Amino acid sequence: MLALRLLYRDWRGGELRLLAMAVVIAVAAVTGVAWLAERVSAATELRAADLLAADRAVEYSQPIPADWVERAQTAGLRTAQIAVFPTVVLAGDENRLVSAKAVNSTYPLRGELRIKPEPGHPEIIPDSIPESGTAWVESRLLGLLGVSVGESISLGALEFEVAAVISLEPDRGDGFASLAPRVMFNQTDLEATELLGPGSRVRHKLLLAGPLEALDGLTSALVAEFGNDIEIETPTDERQGAAEVVEQAKRFLGLAALLTVIVAGVAVLLTVRHYAERQITSVAVMRAIGASRQRILGLFVGKLLWLGVFAGAFGAAIGFGLHVAMLALVADLLGARLPPPSWRPLATGWVTAGVALLGFALPTLSRLRDVPPMRVLRRDLGDNLLRAGLPLAVAAVVILGLMGWQARDPLVAITVFGAVGVTLLVLTAVASGVVFGVRALTRRGGTGRLLWLTGLTRRPMTAIIQIVAIGVGLMSLFLLAVVRNDLLTAWQAEIPPDAPNQFLINIQPEQVDGVRQTLADADISTVFYPMVRARLLAMNGESVAADDFDSAQARRLTRRDFNLSWTSTLADDNRVVAGRWWGEGSSEGSSETPTDSPTDSDRPQLSVETGFAEEVGIELGDTLTFGSGGAEVTAEVTNLRDVRWESFNVNFFVLGSPGTFDPFPQTWLTSFHLADTHNSGTLLNTLVRNYPSVTIIDVSSVLRIVRTIIDQGSRVVELMALLTLLAGVLVLLAALQITGEERRFESALLRALGASGTRIRRMARWEFWLVGAIAGALAGLAATTAGLVVAEVLFSLEYPLRPMTLVIGAGVGLLTVWVAGGLGARRYYRSSPMQLLREG
Amino acid sequence: MRFDAAEGPISLFENLDLSIDAGDSWAILGTSGSGKSTLLGLLAGLDLPSAGRVLLSGEDLTALNEDERAARRQGRVGFVFQAFHLLSGLTALENVMLPLELAGQPQAAARARETLERVGLAARVRHYPSQLSGGEQQRVALARAFIAAPAVLFADEPTGNLDHKTGEQVIDLLFDLNRQHGTTLILVTHDQSVADRCQHVRYLRDGVLREEAV
Repeated sequence: MLALRLLYRDWRGGELRLLAMAVVIAVAAVTGVAWLAERVSAATELRAADLLAADRAVEYSQPIPADWVERAQTAGLRTAQIAVFPTVVLAGDENRLVSAKAVNSTYPLRGELRIKPEPGHPEIIPDSIPESGTAWVESRLLGLLGVSVGESISLGALEFEVAAVISLEPDRGDGFASLAPRVMFNQTDLEATELLGPGSRVRHKLLLAGPLEALDGLTSALVAEFGNDIEIETPTDERQGAAEVVEQAKRFLGLAALLTVIVAGVAVLLTVRHYAERQITSVAVMRAIGASRQRILGLFVGKLLWLGVFAGAFGAAIGFGLHVAMLALVADLLGARLPPPSWRPLATGWVTAGVALLGFALPTLSRLRDVPPMRVLRRDLGDNLLRAGLPLAVAAVVILGLMGWQARDPLVAITVFGAVGVTLLVLTAVASGVVFGVRALTRRGGTGRLLWLTGLTRRPMTAIIQIVAIGVGLMSLFLLAVVRNDLLTAWQAEIPPDAPNQFLINIQPEQVDGVRQTLADADISTVFYPMVRARLLAMNGESVAADDFDSAQARRLTRRDFNLSWTSTLADDNRVVAGRWWGEGSSEGSSETPTDSPTDSDRPQLSVETGFAEEVGIELGDTLTFGSGGAEVTAEVTNLRDVRWESFNVNFFVLGSPGTFDPFPQTWLTSFHLADTHNSGTLLNTLVRNYPSVTIIDVSSVLRIVRTIIDQGSRVVELMALLTLLAGVLVLLAALQITGEERRFESALLRALGASGTRIRRMARWEFWLVGAIAGALAGLAATTAGLVVAEVLFSLEYPLRPMTLVIGAGVGLLTVWVAGGLGARRYYRSSPMQLLREG
Repeated sequence: MRFDAAEGPISLFENLDLSIDAGDSWAILGTSGSGKSTLLGLLAGLDLPSAGRVLLSGEDLTALNEDERAARRQGRVGFVFQAFHLLSGLTALENVMLPLELAGQPQAAARARETLERVGLAARVRHYPSQLSGGEQQRVALARAFIAAPAVLFADEPTGNLDHKTGEQVIDLLFDLNRQHGTTLILVTHDQSVADRCQHVRYLRDGVLREEAV
């Protein structure tokens, strides 16, 4: 308890406030993320069965055969049926791409569906599904279409009255992935909508619930009979998919929180050193009157632990508020009810506080046990006790350990550690260059004229530490606020102005002429592509299962039907990089003279996009077997293509030579650019009314949604960046505290020599302005460089170089340091010359 | 007695042989740099000579390590310093409580308050060192030194930072307390008048303790 009493006395004296604040910020960052991750993960776990609204789901590309339902019921299973597909809904002149879902009366089998009679009303659990002729919709669709509950919307050939708003849908599950708002209606209305044609993108599902044995029996039998034509979904699959997204977000945010911990750690290192220096004499007195080294160490460990208890709890309280704010930012994306928060992140907060204090502060404080008691008589003893080497080494190990903990992957931890280390080194090198450059300038120019600059150069190391710490905080903020935006803008700038922004898919062969005419009437001439949907069944004669692949992308691609097309000519934005295009003599594509040999061009051949080939492991000469609706096609891969996807034209992973996919049912698709005029809506509405089964995808609205999601997600990370900046401000204040005595002495001395208070304050102001402006400009430069590297190297985008980022950065840095530094250092500039004399 | 300094071994004291009886008061006089404080530190076991021995209550301090010496000092040895060495973040009361708290003794606050009363600072218990005059600070230091009723009190230039009048008051108090507690007093000073109040006076010069000033 003596440690607690001593801590209270230190606290009262203001000794440990900055240290505690640094720990509070670090804990707030870590616990905020911990609570967020915990609640989102727990929601995912809890809703495992709910995510399917069943215990098992059988997905089929055609309507569920009646005998499947009978077999399930005979086996003692409960069943429900749903059909999910993308389509366009109309209301007046407005149209929106939606995810339509037809459900039968037994839906859902697991979990709860909740609705609100009107937006803003309390939610209820309905005892039935939407009545025929009515639809329940997500509330955001009402806003998008400008309709209210009770009004009508058109879905294909049918009008529906909006009867309620969906507030919770159990098997919405794929909350992050599914962008289009939901429209739910009664399955008995499905046929009358005329939305479904052969080859349409509908997913029919038979939902099953009941004893495990019966479930396994039926699903195994169906797999044996229908093989890859059906897909069995289990709650685990769904949970894994959702958990993967959550896990990745958790890791990313965890590492972002660590950046705050690192900067706060620097503040701890600085403040604790200052504190330790001031403790040397006290410790010497304690040792002289009989305290052993062990006792001294115990007292400091005790103080740190108590401080950790309080700062951890306080930081966790702030972290709790932070997670509530972050949840509010992404509420739209989660769209699910979250379980109540647990106490566990509080423990995480205490562990973080303990690690921060024992890792960053204890190595310095533990040196105090070696203060020679003789110091009470000889003041020069023990001055060099607090060397920075060991504490820095311990801090580096602690940071690496924390990174390993957050990243759950040593390689990621080491990579991030290296990246942070290199960034810090580069920032330090540049900051040193500037500070020492200014010092050289002032020496050459004479300090009289350039006195305003000397504030920065009198304490170069402190200035460098301040610049780097504030710089890191600002850099993470700029990366998110400016560079993210620039990257998105750069990406959108890459899209040609006349790039197609409307895609019409699911056009039945007999509708092609009519659609072509409708478009021609609107002065749009476009190319129509044939398309079949089929599943990859085998490679080189060996059947393919999703689980054979390591990459999630490959598993996803092989689990579902995907789109295939055929053509005789290679499109402009495609380039053969291996093998040869059918009907051509070499791999150089169109530059070579075609050497049409009938035997070569007549046999079924495949052309595979290089990225897809790499993902799935397809090589030139492999044979692939595709299946759809009982038919199978096997063909050899005779060439690999590079595709310029950014052209936004219709492109396919796998193309066949003409005739290859004839056994499969085909639909057509096209894309075109629709200028944003008042007529554009009319054209789309005409198409939707005349061809209800054709799905229109408005890419610009999809892009808008993607942008909204990115914006919302990055606002969460921006909150973390703000915390990092706050930690940077603490480093600034800690550095001010260290130099406080020196500043007080200088100020009194300058006054004694005749400088006015205004002049002294002006010098201090210049120092803060310079530190802030340099830190901000460096942060702007670093963030822009990072953006440039990401854009050019990772995405091959033309990144807009904006010198204003540096200027704005300098401005923000200047303001931040001016305000924080001005407030922090005020008391040091009030010393009178008399004080100087009195204190010697 | 030789002594290790940063610059290398210094032979500070030659043929130094001193025996102090319990309850006696001793003054060691010397000029600045003569080694008075170093000698005090060695006698108190704060430091060790590189050659020679120091015995406290018959126990050889030079045979003990630092923590063992600290354990011997606890509760048996008190200090008063020229620079007071009060802990600036602690009130007068808390400064005086500290030795008892470190020794885990009960009633620290009540006993500290009582001791502060005896040095005439009952009204100053809640003041911080910076709010006290030099004389008051040294009285707090005296209270801290005597609260554990030490067997030996080491005083290093206790009036060095005080004006003459305040210095006299502090010395009066020091000898009063010393008498009341029957404490052995070893006092280092350069002030002859202070030294004269002790039963024994020695002069340190060129590493040799002499009975007469030379």
